[in-house]
Amino acid sequence: MNVKNVIPYASTMLLIVGMMTLLCGCWDNKDINHRALPIVMGIEKSEDDYQVYLLIPMKDQDKNSALVVSDKGTTINEVIDKMNKNLEMQIDLLHLKIIIFDRSIAEKGLNDSLSSFMRAGDVSPKTIVTITEHKLRPLFERMNAASLNNGISLYDYFEKNAGWSPHLAQTRIWHVFRSMQSETKDVPVPLISAGKATALESSGSAVLRKGIMVGKISSDETLMFNAFAGMGSQGKIEVMNQASVLIVSDTLSHSTSLVENTPVLNSKLTLKVTIIETKGSPTATLIQQELEELWTARYIRMFRKVQSNRADILGLGQLFRNKIPMDRLKYWRDDYYPRLKFNFRIHAIIQNEGLLKMKE
Amino acid sequence: MDKSMQVIVVYLLTHIGLIFFMYPTDIIECLETGHWSAILLGFAIHVALLAVYLKGLQFGAPNNVIDIYKRFGRWFAIVFLFPVALYFAVVIVITIRAYSEIVTLVFLDNTPLWAIMALLLAVSSLVAVYGVETIFRTGILVALLFSPALLLVFSLSFQNADWRYMLPLIDQRAASFSYVFREPFLLSFFAFTGGFLFLGFIPPRIPYKPRKVLLASAALLPMFMLSVYVPLLTFGQSAASLLQFPFITAVDTVNVSWLMFDRITLFFLLSLVGFVMIYISLVMWKTALMIRSVVTIMSPIVTILLLTASVFLACLYIPNWHAVERILWWNTLLRLYVMLVIPFVTLVLGFRLHRKGAAH
Repeated sequence: MNVKNVIPYASTMLLIVGMMTLLCGCWDNKDINHRALPIVMGIEKSEDDYQVYLLIPMKDQDKNSALVVSDKGTTINEVIDKMNKNLEMQIDLLHLKIIIFDRSIAEKGLNDSLSSFMRAGDVSPKTIVTITEHKLRPLFERMNAASLNNGISLYDYFEKNAGWSPHLAQTRIWHVFRSMQSETKDVPVPLISAGKATALESSGSAVLRKGIMVGKISSDETLMFNAFAGMGSQGKIEVMNQASVLIVSDTLSHSTSLVENTPVLNSKLTLKVTIIETKGSPTATLIQQELEELWTARYIRMFRKVQSNRADILGLGQLFRNKIPMDRLKYWRDDYYPRLKFNFRIHAIIQNEGLLKMKE
Repeated sequence: MDKSMQVIVVYLLTHIGLIFFMYPTDIIECLETGHWSAILLGFAIHVALLAVYLKGLQFGAPNNVIDIYKRFGRWFAIVFLFPVALYFAVVIVITIRAYSEIVTLVFLDNTPLWAIMALLLAVSSLVAVYGVETIFRTGILVALLFSPALLLVFSLSFQNADWRYMLPLIDQRAASFSYVFREPFLLSFFAFTGGFLFLGFIPPRIPYKPRKVLLASAALLPMFMLSVYVPLLTFGQSAASLLQFPFITAVDTVNVSWLMFDRITLFFLLSLVGFVMIYISLVMWKTALMIRSVVTIMSPIVTILLLTASVFLACLYIPNWHAVERILWWNTLLRLYVMLVIPFVTLVLGFRLHRKGAAH
């Protein structure tokens, strides 16, 4: 190589080496062992301050454990900063899976906290939102004690591909954020408490209206909500004293109309069920009739309840988007929804009767 | 050898790189419902201008657009093309600054802006130094590498869609096109005009069929639709209009349990940053070509290095996101000039050259 070629060659090499410092993309990088990755966050109001709890999984040399950290402050971010200062690791909320709000916060509204999560982007919008009616400290201690596999199992409680059941609402931050802005759609949020044998127990769902808790529905009513949203399969229903059935599939059809400015909704829910348990010897037709009557009545009762709260968790206003002009639809929750005539019908199909024959 | 394939791939991916960030924000802001009307209008204008421009180039062949203008006098070319060069320079500044801000907002929140800008600029100018063939070949490579990830993200992005948000299909504002001269709609042309002028700069040694490019532009329409309708159907107009980057946040809500990665947004963003690098290098190469046609003594490397240095300095002087948005808006005048005047003037000049050629 002659001298003439050396200079461009050397400068190219220098450039490549220089690039390596830039291109590696590691800037102020903190290794995984210097990060604390909480999976559950609890937020409670005590007097004027926020009390924040974090459940952080820890990996000691050979045993898995979890750590509960809590602190107080005027904003959630201030509390996290305080914890960061006291903890020997950097708290990284990106992998947070569950947020638990105290009921008193939920009744004042989750808007500010959830909007700031959406804005900062440090908490994933997919994080599951829950509300508890009890004190947070015993709940976190229970979760810490009962959770296997350093707390990851808590996450499975809400995951569709793991421990979720259709008796539980599945509501994420972005669902609540959407409903806060939406004119026609509200959300239920699961109510949880410390379980006796298990880490968590659910006692139904809180009804949120524009991000503010206004009421409660039971676990069975949550199943109805999920069936309405097309997520009811594998849900079990007790039919009076005669049988219990398992939902295999649910399909919903609607027709909407506006009669003299009163919205009318006719809905038909087709449930395909299988019989899993009988008491005595009822006929399949009897079970089918009982199921239809029972669930129709329960649905109407649940609907009346949320209607009186003026919270449209079933998203019925969505069905009127092309019937009511957009500028009127803004008043859906206060003007139209309380007057909505909801004609609901259930059509049950018993797909099979299990492995035992049943008399007609 | 027909190299239409390379031209088409670069045409498509430079546009895809631009569509998914600011474009949905503008379109969602400009209408309450019936967004398809704004998308279709913008797209129709794009295709019409593309057709006019390509026809003009075809008449003027084998000259590139600079030569066509130069045939009518040096000063004529300088007067007409100086705004174009200025537009390109501003576009490079905006794109670098905006995309580094996006990268900081979405995932590299610890990395200083200048490092990301330096990285984006370094890679783009390196590609630009090697000329248009390298840009095209890199384009093919980048497209091959990233399109599987993009297709995955596109097909998963409808996971949370509520199709009822599509309704009502049209309202008075959308039907009367009253949004056309409003700021958001004019800004949305950023995604349309950035790319297609490069077709006029391609040297005759890379032959391509204009008709094929025109046909390929149809592939962009689904992209425009997707970028606006995915966030709209996920969040609804009222919530989506609050988001800075609606498509990114909509992709953030996608929950895939079988994928081992928690956020598919990262794949999406990295692919698009790859596309944008190709776009920046293309614009840089065009600008350098224009500068060198006036200042003929400069070598390509020196021109591009000078351009890179001045762009980097300009980027450092932009203090915040608001300023980026302001510059984007000021640039609208140049953008309208580039997208409306240049194609038609090219057609006229090309036609006159063609007639002169035929007369000889």
